[in-house]
Amino acid sequence: MKKLLTATTLILSALCLPAVQAAEGDVGVEAAMDDRYCTTCHGVEGIGNMAVEAPRLAGMESWYLKRQLENFRAGIRGTHEQDTQGIAMRPMATKLSGESIEDIVAWVGSWEYVPAQATIEGDINQGRSAFQSCAACHGANAEGNEALGAPALAGQNDWYMVTQLKNFRAGFRGAHPEDTYGSQMLSMSKALGDDRAVINVVSYINTLVK
Amino acid sequence: MTNPVSRREFLNLLGAYGGTSAVLRAGAALGFMPSSSQAAEISLRANNGKKVAILGTGISALTTAWELTKAGYDCTLLEASHRPGGRMFTVRAGTVIDEIGNYQRCEWDDDPHLYFNAGAARIPSIHSSVLKYCKELEVELQVFVNESKTAWVQDDALNGGKPVRNTDYSSSMQGFVSEMLAKSLGNSEVNSSLTESESETLLGMLRSFGDLNEDMLYKGSVRAGYGSGGFLDHGTKKDVIALRDLLKTRLARNVMVTTQEGTGSGPLLMQPVGGMDRIIYAFANRLGNRIKFRAPVTEVMVKDDGVEVAYEQNGVTELLKADYCFNCIPSHLMSGIPNNFPTEYTEALNYIRRGKAYKAAFQAKERFWEKENIYGGITWVNAPIQQIWYPPHNIHGKKGVVLAAYNFGGANYTEMSQEDRIEDLLKHGEKVHPNYRQMAEKPMTIAWHRMNHMLGCAPRWARNRGGWSEKEEQMYETLRQPVNGRHYLIGDQSTQHSAWMESAIQSAHYALADLDQRVRSEPA
Ligand SMILES: Cc1cc2nc3c(=O)[nH]c(=O)nc-3n(C[C@H](O)[C@H](O)[C@H](O)COP(=O)(O)OP(=O)(O)OC[C@H]3O[C@@H](n4cnc5c(N)ncnc54)[C@H](O)[C@@H]3O)c2cc1C
Repeated sequence: MKKLLTATTLILSALCLPAVQAAEGDVGVEAAMDDRYCTTCHGVEGIGNMAVEAPRLAGMESWYLKRQLENFRAGIRGTHEQDTQGIAMRPMATKLSGESIEDIVAWVGSWEYVPAQATIEGDINQGRSAFQSCAACHGANAEGNEALGAPALAGQNDWYMVTQLKNFRAGFRGAHPEDTYGSQMLSMSKALGDDRAVINVVSYINTLVK
Repeated sequence: MTNPVSRREFLNLLGAYGGTSAVLRAGAALGFMPSSSQAAEISLRANNGKKVAILGTGISALTTAWELTKAGYDCTLLEASHRPGGRMFTVRAGTVIDEIGNYQRCEWDDDPHLYFNAGAARIPSIHSSVLKYCKELEVELQVFVNESKTAWVQDDALNGGKPVRNTDYSSSMQGFVSEMLAKSLGNSEVNSSLTESESETLLGMLRSFGDLNEDMLYKGSVRAGYGSGGFLDHGTKKDVIALRDLLKTRLARNVMVTTQEGTGSGPLLMQPVGGMDRIIYAFANRLGNRIKFRAPVTEVMVKDDGVEVAYEQNGVTELLKADYCFNCIPSHLMSGIPNNFPTEYTEALNYIRRGKAYKAAFQAKERFWEKENIYGGITWVNAPIQQIWYPPHNIHGKKGVVLAAYNFGGANYTEMSQEDRIEDLLKHGEKVHPNYRQMAEKPMTIAWHRMNHMLGCAPRWARNRGGWSEKEEQMYETLRQPVNGRHYLIGDQSTQHSAWMESAIQSAHYALADLDQRVRSEPA
């Protein structure tokens, strides 16, 4: 596994000196050589960032994260032209080595689970009954089920789940022939009749936060 | 023309009602420039040892640190990146482009002339604050050539895809537009509203603007260069490009306009000798070890009596306690950093979007453009690369760095791999210069939407093209007020004219003036 290069500081203490010939390299340090870029978009310790539509990674299961990074890298996810957010993510993953993915997964795994703040309000009762079919795979408390390949949903950013459910429903995600789990999700998502139903079910998931 | 200007419309144009000309009649001197052209005088009250945390090292942050340090404040700058300067970034031998998923190290020849301003590149003469610091910090400037009439215009739809000289295009376009206007002056309605002298002046200008003949017709112009001869022999005119052909490309909007954006752009601009980051390092070298690199801010907590900033360094979380905090971290990244800002403040931070932009450049084996009589300026191309720039410095030197793509607002390169970007820029460039591919050494590309710690270019406030909504104006005001009188948001993101260094500097001046007022009103 790659290690973070320790910064070799080449800082010159130069204030009060008369006009110094400015040149690159006088200040600044070595750039990092690893692929630990996630926090720029996904927020400090992966808390998620709504302003750039990057979901929470803190608490995400390592097996799920690994699968998604590999799917992005292989173009199984993030290649449908309507999947705006997926398209934005994909180039970040295309060059990752297997080693880098392991490193990232371990790094992300070191962050504490932090449930995201709720930002949407739907009909929780309607959502609860719709959730019954989700619970079969994702667990009654949306805690996830590795054996079935279904990630935890509780604590994830609600705006992210809404986008993903809409994408599954429209076939923007999960339609790639090699996206085994995605295609299951694509067909399951059709059970949600419309955008309203999506909002409702996600509002219910918001109540399951541990 | 089938639908000539009516007399009423024409009177409007003449300035009978409102408009800028009304100002003229009111007697205001035209020679005055907008107030922004005067650099603010900063005179902060000397202050011993108040601690200031400055987040990021964009030009706004460096300005703040420099002014406060001069006044005796104790400044610490926290920068997430390995380098200072944010969107003022120059690439030369050895530079790392820290683009997410597209790490590049520049391996051009180590030569002071061979550099690429990957972010800001041009300084307009009315950007007085930028110029003021260049003078104060002894950053040497030179002229940047923004327009060259010998550069090319290339569009597959025009001239069978073969490039046309800017001057061939613009002379013909000016000629036809002038001819049409001159004809519309023949319209008696319009003509009767002009005095004889006004009419003569206008026609004289049109004749000269369009290079029209005695009959006020455009029949070609030697402005486009000579078909043959010109020095020892009489020069002959080149063929005229028909108006219908000129209209086959939409590039006219770029080719015909060199002055845009409140005179932010024009034929004459400036650049620092050796690269835009000369300005950054002029500040940063003077600030020395006050700047901590690879020290990403991870939390900002505003307290009653100051601000506590957590940051990471070498894998350890450190805490910086300060009396005041100036923050230029891009708003959309600040949204992913825990803080205790008031709700309406976070809402405003979340609201600002970022425009996309990309650039590319390569080191040219030879200065091939000079053999085509080009010594600077811009070639316009109707392709994702949009522009090719030729270096105005080191004329007749051995090599030079060609800017091979600059798309401000476009997203094409953002999702492309490095290999695809390079193939794209070579493919389109060789339509302009046949030997382009052979001349291009080691292309470098940068998609700002994928730059680490930046993720974008111009902050975008207004969602509608029509301008700012009332709500947007309100949010803007919210962000301009310091949180608890302690935390200031700076950068071009807290101005109404984004994507200029001048704006970023002025945001710092605005915040500093507020701080100074607070400090002065404190009981001694
Ligand atoms: C392609 C392009 C062309 C341009 N052309 C011109 C031009 O010709 N003329 C002109 O005047 N202007 C131009 N601009 C605009 C100009 O570069 C910007 O307006 C100006 O540099 C912005 O400065 P700023 O102070 O707002 O900070 P920024 O440059 O936005 O800097 C933000 C800083 O915050 C740092 N940061 C991010 N996250 C963290 C964190 N967690 N902790 C600590 N630090 C963090 C970043 O690393 C960066 O240093 C151009 C910009 C681009 C991208």
